[in-house]
Amino acid sequence: MIEIKNVSFRHENADEGSIHDISLTIPDGQCVLLCGESGSGKTTVTRLINGLIPHYYEGEIQGEVIANGLNVTSSELYETAKIVGSVFQNPRSQFFCVDTTSELAFGCENMGMPEAEILSRIDRVTEEMNISPLMGRNIFELSGGEKQKIACGSVSALQPEIMVLDEPTSNLDLNAIEELKETVLKWKASGKTIVIAEHRLYWLREICDRVICTQNGRIAFDMTMTDFAALTEEERAAYGLRPLFNEKGVRPVGNFSGTKTMTLNNFNFSYDKDEALNIPKLEIPIGSIVAVTGNNGAGKSTFSRCLCGLEKKFKGTVTMNGETLKSKQLLKKCYMVMQDVNHQLFCETVEEEVQLGMNDENAGDVQKILAELDLDGFAERHPMSLSGGQKQRTAIASAMLADKEILLFDEPTSGLDFRHMEQTAELLSSLKSKKTVFVVTHDPELISRCCTHILRIENGRATEFYS
Amino acid sequence: MGRSILQASVTDRGLVLDPRTKLFMLLNMAIFVLGSAGGERVQALTPLFCAMPAVLLFSARKWKTAITFVILFILSYSMYTIFGPMTTGALHYILLGCSGILARFLPSIMMGGYLVSTTTVSEFTAAMLKMKLSEKIIIPLSVMFRFFPTVFDEAASINAAMRMRGIHLGGRNAGGILEYRMVPLMTCCVKIGEELSAAALTRGLGGEVRRTNICNIGFKVQDIIFIMISLVPYVLWILDIVGI
Repeated sequence: MIEIKNVSFRHENADEGSIHDISLTIPDGQCVLLCGESGSGKTTVTRLINGLIPHYYEGEIQGEVIANGLNVTSSELYETAKIVGSVFQNPRSQFFCVDTTSELAFGCENMGMPEAEILSRIDRVTEEMNISPLMGRNIFELSGGEKQKIACGSVSALQPEIMVLDEPTSNLDLNAIEELKETVLKWKASGKTIVIAEHRLYWLREICDRVICTQNGRIAFDMTMTDFAALTEEERAAYGLRPLFNEKGVRPVGNFSGTKTMTLNNFNFSYDKDEALNIPKLEIPIGSIVAVTGNNGAGKSTFSRCLCGLEKKFKGTVTMNGETLKSKQLLKKCYMVMQDVNHQLFCETVEEEVQLGMNDENAGDVQKILAELDLDGFAERHPMSLSGGQKQRTAIASAMLADKEILLFDEPTSGLDFRHMEQTAELLSSLKSKKTVFVVTHDPELISRCCTHILRIENGRATEFYS
Repeated sequence: MGRSILQASVTDRGLVLDPRTKLFMLLNMAIFVLGSAGGERVQALTPLFCAMPAVLLFSARKWKTAITFVILFILSYSMYTIFGPMTTGALHYILLGCSGILARFLPSIMMGGYLVSTTTVSEFTAAMLKMKLSEKIIIPLSVMFRFFPTVFDEAASINAAMRMRGIHLGGRNAGGILEYRMVPLMTCCVKIGEELSAAALTRGLGGEVRRTNICNIGFKVQDIIFIMISLVPYVLWILDIVGI
């Protein structure tokens, strides 16, 4: 049983508290979905349960949290670790070891368990979760879904009674979400108490018994899944929540009227001997917004890297407006807005940032473009001090000023709530007909809001392209 | 090389040595080849000594590294011993300087390369535990090794971003290459480091009990052979000192 008793918390450097006077009781074996907008306090609640607040993220705390009789708020983290297991959002940053087997053993080793016991636990977990093909591998070579499986396995090996998952699907494709769902269902069947903070809701419909929505650091509602499912999508959207039911067969928005096209020729690429991409020819309407979909490892990122001219050995070309562009010219014509946009902000102010690499003829347009992208008040700010959406827009502004014709977005909505996802969709829509936009995404809601075409890549081949 | 620091794949790496044996051999390289300690008899043996990293690299199927090493070493060593005495003046010093430095440093560098490219972090941690080092040293070190591939990954993404912005050697913003790289790299590494620590703490790192380790390391026949060979120069050195 988890008891949160009148807890308020304010982060050390924050002006405002992130949660105010929250009280909750979660009985043994219950599976709870925590939802709500970004910054509404759901991550704070998960951190209260696993003890990272107040022991790692410091701040001012009132009240206390009791998990299965242990006072998490006053106990050391390694005591809590025996009772509460945690899975996080970012597969890149939740591994301590480099190979999978050591990672499964990591938690048990920390507890000082005898070797034989650890090995038998690893055997049991690999069998339960069907991950024996992943054993003994380098974690850096696994896909996002496989990494998340190892993260779950590593927590499972510790056999905690409570599981806390903080936005576990942010970086996963649909298949990987299905597999995660199976894992969570197994945990549920074995009687564990589970708390999941999440933006994507549909996969939790059959898992969670109870839904708690946070808003501005308080509980907005607390109801059963049955009641929650009875709400209309509009009611859910009013709380900043994404749909609970995903429509089968995503359709792109149909209103695209451009007639000119560009041709991708000979998009073939191999890493060593493994063929990663094989698209002999593809016509793309200029000015369209193309969703690039497919499972992890299907060749989407290779496609992106080739299109942006980042693969030096890539021999394919793009023909547009009568010109045939090779890798080197593509580097000048294309721009990728990366999933972690922090990788591409270099300067000290937004203004400098967007002017870096600018075509000098556009010098007069800086203010106009900043205004178009709602950045006019931020010209003097440091790009790293902006919010995620603002950073994304800064990157777009710099691409516009550098006269890039093709923009490519890599998972622009991963980990975004409903409102921010809609904003991104609007932003992408505003680029329609001005630039040709490719969006690599797993987000059906984004596609149905702004994309004019869908390109599906499987095993390195373009299996479908339709509007 | 950078990406392979302590990231060895567990299968397919040929002769498996205990990390402690490798460390001992690295130490020997530093003392006797790089530091040229041990007197004349030991120094006469150095070429033989330098063959060790080559043998080990071949056994680990690192063909390219091994062959490059052998060729470079033979070249620089023969320069040093054959052409060195034949030349005079400035040329003599330049030749001696270059080939001498290369011949001395190369074997140790290769030995170090062999150590990091054929050991995993877990093995290294296990070895440190068996050497009774404090966890205060082991944990930061293993975090550091864990961090190398992350830093290289991040740097690769940043590099790609810079190329799309036209920042490259010879481009018009070439002056900023270092600065532009450092800011995002620091930001990303700090963020990942923070999340990494949080994840590790929720799995009980830092508790009061002594950590166990499932990694199976220990001295085997091949370790004993290599250690015996590595002991030879010490024996000769001691014999020299006592005057036999």
